[in-house]
Amino acid sequence: MADEKRGAKLSRRSFLKGLSGGAIGTAVISTGLVKSDPAEAYFPETTGAARGKTPISLKVNGKTYRVQAEHRETLAEVLRDQLGLTGTKIGCDRGECGACTVIINGRNMYSCSQLAVWMGGKEILTIEGLAKGDKLDPVQEAFIEHDGPQCGFCTSGQIMSGKALLMKNSKPNEGQVRRALSGNLCRCGNYNREVAAVLAAAKR
Amino acid sequence: MAQAQKEFSIVGKRTPRIDGYERVTGQAHYTGDIQLPGMLYARVLRSTVPHAKIVGIDASKAEKLPGVKAVIHHGNAKVPWSSGGHTHQRFIFNNPVRFVGDAVAAVAATDRHIAEDALALIEVKYEKIPHVLDPNEALKPDAPKISTNGNLSVGKGNFSAPIEESWGDLEKGFKEADQIFEDTYVTKHTNNAQLERRVSIAKWDAGKLTVYASTQGVSNARTDIAKDFGLPLSKVRVVSKYMGGGFGNKNQAQDYDYMAAVLAKVTNQPVKLEFTREDDYIGMHGRWASEQHYKVGVKKDGTITAVQLDAVTNIGAYRKQSGNLSGTDFYNIPNFKKIIKPVHTNTVVGANYRAPAYPQSVFGFASFLDHIAYELGINPVDMFMRNRIQKYKAKLPFTSNYLEQCIIEGSKRIGWSEKWHKPGAMDGVKKHGIGMALGGYPFRPGLGAATIRMNPDGSAHLLVGVTDIGTGAKSTMAIIAAEALGISLNQIEVTNGDTDVTPYSVGESGSRTTSFTGHAVIAAAEDIRKQVFAVAAPQLKVKAEELDLRDGQVFVKAEPSQKIPLARAVARAGELIGRATTNPEFKDVEGKSFSAHFAEVEVDTLTGHVKITRYVAVHDSGIILNRMPAESQIMGGVVQGIGMAFTEELITDKLTATPINPNYRDAKVPTHLEAPNVEVIFVEHYDPYGPFGGKVVGEPPITAAVATIANAIFNATGKRIKELPITPDKILQARQV
Repeated sequence: MADEKRGAKLSRRSFLKGLSGGAIGTAVISTGLVKSDPAEAYFPETTGAARGKTPISLKVNGKTYRVQAEHRETLAEVLRDQLGLTGTKIGCDRGECGACTVIINGRNMYSCSQLAVWMGGKEILTIEGLAKGDKLDPVQEAFIEHDGPQCGFCTSGQIMSGKALLMKNSKPNEGQVRRALSGNLCRCGNYNREVAAVLAAAKR
Repeated sequence: MAQAQKEFSIVGKRTPRIDGYERVTGQAHYTGDIQLPGMLYARVLRSTVPHAKIVGIDASKAEKLPGVKAVIHHGNAKVPWSSGGHTHQRFIFNNPVRFVGDAVAAVAATDRHIAEDALALIEVKYEKIPHVLDPNEALKPDAPKISTNGNLSVGKGNFSAPIEESWGDLEKGFKEADQIFEDTYVTKHTNNAQLERRVSIAKWDAGKLTVYASTQGVSNARTDIAKDFGLPLSKVRVVSKYMGGGFGNKNQAQDYDYMAAVLAKVTNQPVKLEFTREDDYIGMHGRWASEQHYKVGVKKDGTITAVQLDAVTNIGAYRKQSGNLSGTDFYNIPNFKKIIKPVHTNTVVGANYRAPAYPQSVFGFASFLDHIAYELGINPVDMFMRNRIQKYKAKLPFTSNYLEQCIIEGSKRIGWSEKWHKPGAMDGVKKHGIGMALGGYPFRPGLGAATIRMNPDGSAHLLVGVTDIGTGAKSTMAIIAAEALGISLNQIEVTNGDTDVTPYSVGESGSRTTSFTGHAVIAAAEDIRKQVFAVAAPQLKVKAEELDLRDGQVFVKAEPSQKIPLARAVARAGELIGRATTNPEFKDVEGKSFSAHFAEVEVDTLTGHVKITRYVAVHDSGIILNRMPAESQIMGGVVQGIGMAFTEELITDKLTATPINPNYRDAKVPTHLEAPNVEVIFVEHYDPYGPFGGKVVGEPPITAAVATIANAIFNATGKRIKELPITPDKILQARQV
């Protein structure tokens, strides 16, 4: 009665898990497509609380953290749940909305689509690491002045993508800002404000 | 309750949000950011079949999975969810299940991955029942019955069916017409798709339930929960400080709040229940789809003599909201009749999404009027101007109505008279088009409450029940309080969204926060001022009535140089507490905010791609209290309208009855690349019934956007697309006909 169960489709997380498992990955995908029980087909040995955790050294906002994470835990989850850095939001958990955007080695990336165990030796910058003491980053200041946040849930991600752009291109034009932020959805539709804020920050 | 206009010192200025710092530093704590000691994580299992009786649930394998603490389903957690369905009783888990996505079970475990693993181990045996997806099919006598009452959703009051409204004499109106036009317009189910997935954290302490909810209304959520759990209101606390958007689908309390509460009860641990993005698309609701048939009688000069609207709306398996269509509201219709049939189908629920009954039928009716203008050889701007509403239901005056000025200002700004051309008349592959439509939203007064505590140093705490869902309501309330008190904005600290601490608020839905709670904040400030004047009078050696307070100074009205700082006046007064509960009413007037939107587009007739090259949104929302967020909301409403016009549709596969695109990528919400620059114009006039003259802002901007774009596409191509979304293939097909 396979169709009566939830499975029958590959979730992004299972897919990531599959890839990280090397040779198991291909088996996962093919069994997934023939609609077997996903819980058994994907990771028969790793479901439940008995799974092992891997120690990871995470460098976030200039500080080094030692954490333990399962292979299937994303960077976004570890930042939020273990390090308490909840400024990074999770909107879709499937690499579509950009609320979880952080800067990894100078590039803006979706932290929901990066496994924590891949992060060893990488420099991670989150929204909490932007301000220098009491001094806000110019992008943050401009977001306040230009009413960048409506509900504010996408705001951290928008700011991090804006920051990543300005790190590479200190004088972008409007089209470049729109393209750079186009992976960050804002359902409040506040796109004009966010673009205006990044352009204003570039002028500071 | 009508009031005269005042001079303002803070209202209407370009003031940044008071919580901007928290929002740009990651320090604004949303519900999902909260972690409690010993907290479990929960996930929901959903039906994979559209209509079936559950004949067995075997959760034993899931329960044996290490880390799993509880599995609940209809067999062991039969909790009613009153606001989830108004015409047949709905529970948090239902048997039979009535759509693909109906909740079947929920699991609490020590982490979210284990909870997810456990879902796949729950075995559900379904006994399938015939299903129906199309609302017209559902109305046929032999259709499978989704509700025991039948598929026409008959309930009481606001939930009656069919929804009927009429005035004047329809037959006479059609007789007076020179020409009668009939046509049908279709809109699809679109999702609110707010960025914050649903999340709820519940915990019990000695019989008291606390729910950290992601809700648009903490008071309403508390009322719902208390009712369905049989608890006194005092034993339920609902907290929501920051909210990541909802646009109408996080009103009140929802089934996930209840599931978290039940799981917390049975495990005796706090539980955080999180939706996935797919859960959010199919498990809650989106905007109801509609099929609208219009019959419109007009004079040769375009004057409407009669309108008849017959429509079906698809509200899915449960009736959460009205299913009404109100797009005809902005026109002067002397003879009118509408019959709307909200219909149950085995699909995802159709309910509130920003201006719930409007964009669908503004698209239908404003498109049709635009088309009738074309048939009659009339310029659309003249058609809309001639037929704009002046009296409510052809009878009552409005508290204020500057729709005429919206049309004049907007057409001037976009250059209508120079740019408008006959539809489809331009040469070349890329064709220019220009279009317009009218919109707005009701403005009503209602119950509000506020408390202000003034400290001995003159600073004040404003306590309001509002949750700030993105509208800037928290800032607006602070601005109103500062203005009404006569102190500066930075002297006010707002505490919001906690039913144990803050007084009642209507909930941020229906554009009611400013108009309901705003009056209460003003009244609470007046209460405090009286107390301030009472303690200051002996110090200034005058009577209390002779005093005023402005810019933090208490002074004698007749002799302003005789003054003392507020901080000195109240230094020995202990804590002053001002409070108010207000419930103003309209008498023989009706309220509405109005808008006229204008767009220019460029349609690529080879690819069917449409680019919006200019957008002008003109709004009559009375006095604008909090300018920057008000402008932002107008821009954002337009962007949501663009999504509805061009791309968004939750598609249900006919064969499997399964929604096949329940995510951002495939349901295609607009990105930075699709958002045009929206020029916002407020036609500002004091409304004598609004707090400080303001009407409503949040809902109106989406109402006219879809029709405005559709009319601009018609002007470019000369082809009318009558079904949303207006995708490139539809434009290409229409061009080939």
